[in-house]
Amino acid sequence: MTNKQKVPVTILTGFLGSGKTTLLNKILSEEHGKRIAVIENEYGEVGIDQGLVINADEEVFEMSNGCICCTVRGDLIRVLGNLMKRRDKFDYVLVETTGLADPGPVAQTFFMDDEIRSEFSLDGIVTLVDAAHIDQQLGRSDESSEQVAFADVLVLNKTDLVSDESLDTLEARLRDMNRMARVVRSKQADVSVETVLNLGAFDLDQVLERRPSFLEPEYPFEWTGIFQLEPGRYEVSLEEGPDPMMSLVVVADQGTDEESLNEGAESCVRLYAEPAELLHPGDKIPLNKHVNLQLQSEGRKSFSLEVEKSGHLGLFTQHTAEEFDIKVRRMDTSVSESGSNQPNNLLIPPIAERTWVAQHEHDDEVGSIAIERNGNVDPEKLNAWLSQLLSEKGVDIFRMKGFISFADEPRRIVFQGVHMLFTSQPDREWGNESRRNQLVFIGRDLDEEALQSGFDKCLT
Amino acid sequence: MPDIRELGPQGRGMLHEGWSTEVADYVIVCGWALEGNAFLVGDAAGGLYAFEGKSGTVLWHRKEVHEGSLLAMSIHPDGDIFATAGQDGRVLIWKSKDGESNKALDLGKGWVEHLQWSPDGQFLAVVFSQYVYVFGADGEEHWRSDKHPSTVSAVAWSKSNELATACYGQVTFYDVLRAQVNQKLEWQGSLVSMVLSPDGDIVACGSQDNSVHFWRRSTAQDAEMTGYPGKPSQLAFDQTGMVLATGGGERITVWSFQGNGPEGTVPGELDLHIGAISSLAFSNRGSLLASGSRDGSVFVWLLQKNGHGEPLGGAFVGAHVEAIAWRPDDCALAAVNANGGINVWDFKNRIKTSPKGFS
Repeated sequence: MTNKQKVPVTILTGFLGSGKTTLLNKILSEEHGKRIAVIENEYGEVGIDQGLVINADEEVFEMSNGCICCTVRGDLIRVLGNLMKRRDKFDYVLVETTGLADPGPVAQTFFMDDEIRSEFSLDGIVTLVDAAHIDQQLGRSDESSEQVAFADVLVLNKTDLVSDESLDTLEARLRDMNRMARVVRSKQADVSVETVLNLGAFDLDQVLERRPSFLEPEYPFEWTGIFQLEPGRYEVSLEEGPDPMMSLVVVADQGTDEESLNEGAESCVRLYAEPAELLHPGDKIPLNKHVNLQLQSEGRKSFSLEVEKSGHLGLFTQHTAEEFDIKVRRMDTSVSESGSNQPNNLLIPPIAERTWVAQHEHDDEVGSIAIERNGNVDPEKLNAWLSQLLSEKGVDIFRMKGFISFADEPRRIVFQGVHMLFTSQPDREWGNESRRNQLVFIGRDLDEEALQSGFDKCLT
Repeated sequence: MPDIRELGPQGRGMLHEGWSTEVADYVIVCGWALEGNAFLVGDAAGGLYAFEGKSGTVLWHRKEVHEGSLLAMSIHPDGDIFATAGQDGRVLIWKSKDGESNKALDLGKGWVEHLQWSPDGQFLAVVFSQYVYVFGADGEEHWRSDKHPSTVSAVAWSKSNELATACYGQVTFYDVLRAQVNQKLEWQGSLVSMVLSPDGDIVACGSQDNSVHFWRRSTAQDAEMTGYPGKPSQLAFDQTGMVLATGGGERITVWSFQGNGPEGTVPGELDLHIGAISSLAFSNRGSLLASGSRDGSVFVWLLQKNGHGEPLGGAFVGAHVEAIAWRPDDCALAAVNANGGINVWDFKNRIKTSPKGFS
């Protein structure tokens, strides 16, 4: 028995009109030295002079246990099973799905069927997105968000039909839904073949390299301003901004160096987790308390702030100072005696500022959650946790990827899963690198805290 | 040293090297024709070969008979003609003797994956995606099924005018003369293979979810055998219908229908292959089972009524065994493999097995 190299498979998904056929034609016509077998959906109309194009009716088969996670593409099993006997004719497989296809069964086929699993490996899922229409599609159909969620590469196509600004917004939305995917922009599906084929999508290192901020912590606030204030009364005023409400925490004795800023941020995260007190214009802002500033009335709104001893006050605001034109002024009578007609002089600029990676508003039900922890995990506990998690939440967990460190294993253990199915295998050696664990979940209505605390219990 | 007689009635060496040869591509189908005087082989490139049964000399050879690939072959019960089908949506009917084709049936754009002659040789059942056609040996269409809910994955004749079809979720029995459905057996699962017991009462199907599902037609009772590590695509009944051999992993699981079985009984397990089982064939008479594996090994087993058995001999052919076939007189066994290899062994059975099998 020889250990044959498995044939890599790329799955191409995307709504009707997103440009799948254009991309497919481009891939097939380009000189890349690969002999590609294409399995086209029943509505496919690739008129190409290519040796191996096979039409397949999408037949999604549920198993007798009635679990939707255990669905496979029966037609693919048959077609790939036969293709295996012609291995000398091709070295790559591309599977195009219909616009409305749920990518789950296609991906699961490569995990569920023992024969397919032994001969083929899922290289990656490429989802084409029509930049002009995806916003509507995402609202209307589950398939559309599932196609985004499953992707390793999101090709944001037809970018010439929308403004740069809306492209940025769209890209941010897509990234929120799927933080694992690489986003590529194109006009007429004119992306290079290397960006869609031979991804080795499971190369998590590569994913991290591409998106260094991937696992940077997100905060519920976007901006911090530190003000040097003497004892007295102050006014915090705001212009109209993007929201009729903004939350805020004012911290006493906030240092300006990097370490103090991070410490302050961490303690503010905890304060932000507490319910906010609603303040109306004119109200006094308490220290070290989570408050919501009501900003519904027109014009500039003022809140007061009292400082008892001189020091550095930190304002951790939900939005940036720029968005609301946040200003801090001194209101003390003792000062106004000498310069009462020059209010502008009383404006106090911050001595330090910092903007944070903001926690996005997760409007979409579909999102991604990342867990990163140092140390080792207990294999048995992890297995028990994952088994339970996937049996309870497998329907909502579309994909899972990551690597784990076991104390007794010199190599990283890499994980990859689709719904309830997952595989794990040893990867490269840790060497001198410090042991850590990273898992990314993409799914619908995922409970981040539950996932993190569940994982934490597996740590040794 | 264990007494060699304990290893099996004849010990080792039951498979004696006969002849072997190689064809250009992955061998997909094989079978004996002309009363065992010819061995027919079809490969993935669409090559068709006939070898003289005893010597392995090439009788005739045809190239690229199906564009894309050859997918299926069925030899007529009289052995004088046979049919092939392929990715080109065609069925060709050939003469075994000289390899001349006098009939071509074009079904359209799509694959023809399964073919089966009826036991009396009057009809040829042809699977074309979600439809099944029945043709006469003259190529005339006699009957066509309604559209099945999914692609038909297997066909089998229960008698000369009754055809069973399997697809996702159901097995259907059609009277092809009266063009009516005789029985429909439903079960939510993807059925990937099907065999019928020789009397036609038991229907066994391998399922995608690693189980074997079967029904007794007379009582419409059904049962499910689970716990297979893989998909049991390979199924074989012995000629008495007493035991059902199943693949679905490295081990052959044999269910016995004696008494009230196989429900609630422990199956026999034949465990020598290292790779997953890829083909199973019972001898035409007696209770011998031949098995081939993805690891390139071939074994012959002597089975008992209760499904347990012992190996009589084995061989290694070096590549995934795609198909295996007993010569009509059971005195030779042929195996074809993924490297285009063909091996034929003389099989000398010095022990007495009842020619009627278990009965």
